[in-house]
Amino acid sequence: MSDKSLLQVSSLSASVDDLPILHNINLEIRPGETHVLMGPNGAGKSTLGYTLMGNPHYRVTEGSILFDGEDITSLSADKRAKAGMFLSFQNPLEVPGISLGSFIRNAYHEQTGKPVKLLQYKKQLAEAMELLTMDGTYADRDLNVGFSGGEKKKAEILQMLMLKPKLAILDETDSGLDVDAVRTVSKGIQEYQKQKDGALLIITHSTKILESLHVDYTHVLVKGHIVTTGDGSLVEEINEHGFEKYTRCEGCDGCSPLSAN
Amino acid sequence: MSENEKAVVDIDRSVYDIKDVENEQDFYRMEDGFTEDIVMKISEEKHDPEWMRKFRLDCLKLYNSLDMPPWGPDTDELDMNLISSYVRSKSDMKGKWEDVPEDIKNTFERLGIPEAERESLAGVGAQYDSELVYHNVKDEVSDQGVVYTDMESALTGEYSEMVHEYFMKLVPPTDHKFAALHGAVWSGGSFVYVPKGVKVDIPLQSYFRLNAAGAGQFEHTLIIVDEGADLHFIEGCSAPKYNVANLHAGCVELFVKKNARLRYSTIENWSKNMYNLNTKRALVEEGARMEWVSGSFGSHTSYLYPMTILKGDHSQMEYTGITFAGKGQNLDTGAKVVHQGKYTSSLISTKSISKSGGIGTYRSSVVINKEAKHAKTSVSCDSLMLDSISRADTIPGMDIRTDDADVGHEAKIGRISDEAVFYLMSRGLSEEDARAMIVSGFANPVSKELPLEYAVEMNNLIKLEMSGG
Amino acid sequence: MDIKMNVNHLPALTYRFLKANDSEIDLKDLYIEDTKTPEPENIPSSVTVKSDLSEDDVKEIFLKVNEKIESKKADLPGPNGDTAPLNDGQIVRTGMGAAVDNLMKEMNVPVTVYTVSEGYKTEEPVVVKYSLKNGSCVLGSQVIHAKKNSEITVIMEYDSEENAKGFLGIQTRLLAEEGAKINLIKVQMLSEDVMHFDDVGGICDDNADIETINMQLGAKDTWGGDRITLLGDKSIYNNHTGYLCRHKQTYDMNYVADQIGKKTESNMIFRGVLLDEAVKTFRGTLDFKAGSAGSVGDEQEDTLLLSPDVINRTMPVILCQEEDVDGRHGASIGQLGDDVLFYMESRGIDEEEAKRLMIRARMESIARMIPDEAMIVRIQQYIRNIL
Repeated sequence: MSDKSLLQVSSLSASVDDLPILHNINLEIRPGETHVLMGPNGAGKSTLGYTLMGNPHYRVTEGSILFDGEDITSLSADKRAKAGMFLSFQNPLEVPGISLGSFIRNAYHEQTGKPVKLLQYKKQLAEAMELLTMDGTYADRDLNVGFSGGEKKKAEILQMLMLKPKLAILDETDSGLDVDAVRTVSKGIQEYQKQKDGALLIITHSTKILESLHVDYTHVLVKGHIVTTGDGSLVEEINEHGFEKYTRCEGCDGCSPLSAN
Repeated sequence: MSENEKAVVDIDRSVYDIKDVENEQDFYRMEDGFTEDIVMKISEEKHDPEWMRKFRLDCLKLYNSLDMPPWGPDTDELDMNLISSYVRSKSDMKGKWEDVPEDIKNTFERLGIPEAERESLAGVGAQYDSELVYHNVKDEVSDQGVVYTDMESALTGEYSEMVHEYFMKLVPPTDHKFAALHGAVWSGGSFVYVPKGVKVDIPLQSYFRLNAAGAGQFEHTLIIVDEGADLHFIEGCSAPKYNVANLHAGCVELFVKKNARLRYSTIENWSKNMYNLNTKRALVEEGARMEWVSGSFGSHTSYLYPMTILKGDHSQMEYTGITFAGKGQNLDTGAKVVHQGKYTSSLISTKSISKSGGIGTYRSSVVINKEAKHAKTSVSCDSLMLDSISRADTIPGMDIRTDDADVGHEAKIGRISDEAVFYLMSRGLSEEDARAMIVSGFANPVSKELPLEYAVEMNNLIKLEMSGG
Repeated sequence: MDIKMNVNHLPALTYRFLKANDSEIDLKDLYIEDTKTPEPENIPSSVTVKSDLSEDDVKEIFLKVNEKIESKKADLPGPNGDTAPLNDGQIVRTGMGAAVDNLMKEMNVPVTVYTVSEGYKTEEPVVVKYSLKNGSCVLGSQVIHAKKNSEITVIMEYDSEENAKGFLGIQTRLLAEEGAKINLIKVQMLSEDVMHFDDVGGICDDNADIETINMQLGAKDTWGGDRITLLGDKSIYNNHTGYLCRHKQTYDMNYVADQIGKKTESNMIFRGVLLDEAVKTFRGTLDFKAGSAGSVGDEQEDTLLLSPDVINRTMPVILCQEEDVDGRHGASIGQLGDDVLFYMESRGIDEEEAKRLMIRARMESIARMIPDEAMIVRIQQYIRNIL
């Protein structure tokens, strides 16, 4: 870990269709750190993920996002990806006609601008797929087409392992998965943590996926506000007591324009 | 089933079928056919201004030069030489219900028109054969500056210039053969003007009754909803059944100005000897919204495709329609829309039911012009076949000329599932009731768009059709 | 000679202003020099090939099924604006219609008939390759006849010399007898100065199956029509069409599944991309005839529009005279969706590259079904060259 910040979100507010969702978000992530973003349904967790990645549907109304020292607030998603940001989608897209393997190769080529060394690439891909207990034939299947929910999530983690981003945002990667699949995905995430200074922002509303991961910071998002930040132990606490404490807290009712009604 | 729905189950079709024997001395009937002579006579009869007389004659020439479209239902049995273009009661139009001639009043009372007026309408016009016999607008509505009058008065009165400016500009007589015919022999119909910013809270209604055998009805409806105004207009039609063909070739022109909204609802229940060749069109300006709700149950043959031109940026249209084609009916209905402005949107949703040898055709066109950037359209049409001697055809067309459009189309055809019928029967419904309930459910997206009284009438019509009435 | 004929009649006419009721082929000064079907590269032993047959011979082949069609005709009204009478007299009703029959007759085009013997399932495809030389004008006519419980795959490839000018018109008629299966694959990679039409008509008897794959990638103006008559009970028609139109290319098509037998199935997929000033007219009809109880039909069209100057006409028709059927049509026409674009961008792929990727994906999703690896590679290369 280093002192230099990788992601610096300052006073960020964002809207969808002119409806304000995020309010005054401040968040700093340094290389190699693992942050967890928790919160009840509808708190705006996925919105934060999309906004960081630059989905044009989500409009930044205030504040800024610095990534690796550069202001990316108004950059398109492909530029953010090239800068080293990655988002694992909650509902990954299906693309008939393009295989998972060739899609990753394309993305890798676009991000690095270098020609892909085919043999080396295939070896890496095979290793990563083995780690994720994905059948090798999936590389030749159309991207996410006919994949089960678990396979889609594994395919997202596979892309993360292959593209080696500086910051990976995992949006509800554990939702809808059975115990075995969560364990496998979690193994993939550990591998990512291992291989370099990869930072993580794990968005989740359950705690299953976090059990075998080292967590540096935990943030709780309620009604578009980060209401508290703590270390890894906060996960345990929420696991036991839920979010009730935060949804009722004085600071929240006072600060959220949505709860006023 | 709600109380309201229950209450109408017993009403039968005979109410629409009452023929009022017209006392000949009380009615003026134009000789049958469409000649220059006849057109001149109509023009005289109506004291047309000079431009209208010339317009009529030009239209007649056009009518004779245009062919019938090759695509629609057969009209071979419609003998134009046996249609009278003009039939009117010798009594003048009344502003008070008591003054309407007794026999005509009885007819409308049986149809429930004055009752509806008292209860839920802002104004009513009632046309009997070729002319309006009654017209009335509630004071609070006319005090808002809303004009609702018969076309003839509008043509010569205070609004004559406005009528001249708009009359058959949206549906030019060159549009098709029956538009030309309409231009030549039109009579009756309504003129509505809603001034800027005025919101009419309760609907206006016109009711058209074609009573004379072998007659044509050619009413013209012109509605202008000025900027920011809001109106709901309801049109009802019926006729008794004769053994000779009747013809309805009306024309509806709607101008929806900037940020205005117009809802135009129709429950059409012409008798099954009627050729319904009606033309309806709306021009929608910037930010304005046009809503059509259309139920087609009657007539022998229909050509009916309300058209919307989304001229202004951000203008919108929504069309909700249902057609029920029963025995001996060939109902060719649908909608047309042209996207001209940017960010325009259209939503067409139709239901079509075919039964007892009826032919139901959904026909539509969606045109998105090159200029209509960011246009969005969504079409969904469902057909339900109730037996295997009927037809249900779906013939939509789309012409998209910009990449910046979002076009979705869905069509489905199917039947009532045996499982659904069985489920309802297992709960104690007879098979007939079970099927009727499923059909009502199929029609529900349309009936829920109608004011309650009309939704009830529509459900009643569906029940009539289902029981073979 | 000049060719002037109206083809691709919409089965039920609609508004004239849509200009999609039919299409006119108007070509001048053609010198038709070749009307022979090229020899296939290899002929499996179970397949017999007869060339130089006449229309009378074709009539003979289809005699039995045509009697069956006649016997199933119900005396019920057709759709409003029915165009069936315009194409009366075709031995096999085709997508483009009687005008193509008349042209073939007028030019004395001999018919090549491929017959698979009863019960034989041939794995090896029969590849018929038309290679157009600059300036050549070619007409061709084939019949593929799969006897009882047999199977045949025919790949027809159309290509030309680079920048060749010319004309290629093909008619292919299919007969799948009881339990038989015909796979017909057409790959069109002609130069952009070639005028082209490709007319297909087929009949499926009981439990028979016709599968067609069409890749339309080249030529200047293309007319294509496929009409498959599902005559027998439980007969099946599957079609996959992929097309890529750019510059000023036009593609005018008419697909019809005529469902007559009980429990028939049709499934048609169309994936296309329009670029530059391309013009496409799609007509797709599911026609459930009286008596087709238990039949299902599905037609899905998906068109990517990638230039503000394209014209896309879509006429998705469903005709129905039978209660117990399930028919559906879906069309989705427009640009690359925002969600697609965002997903691609989040992986570092910019808009231009995402478009190229999606074009390739669409074409390859169809091409990949072709049972000929070398052909798939050629298609991939052709598309890569274009992009």
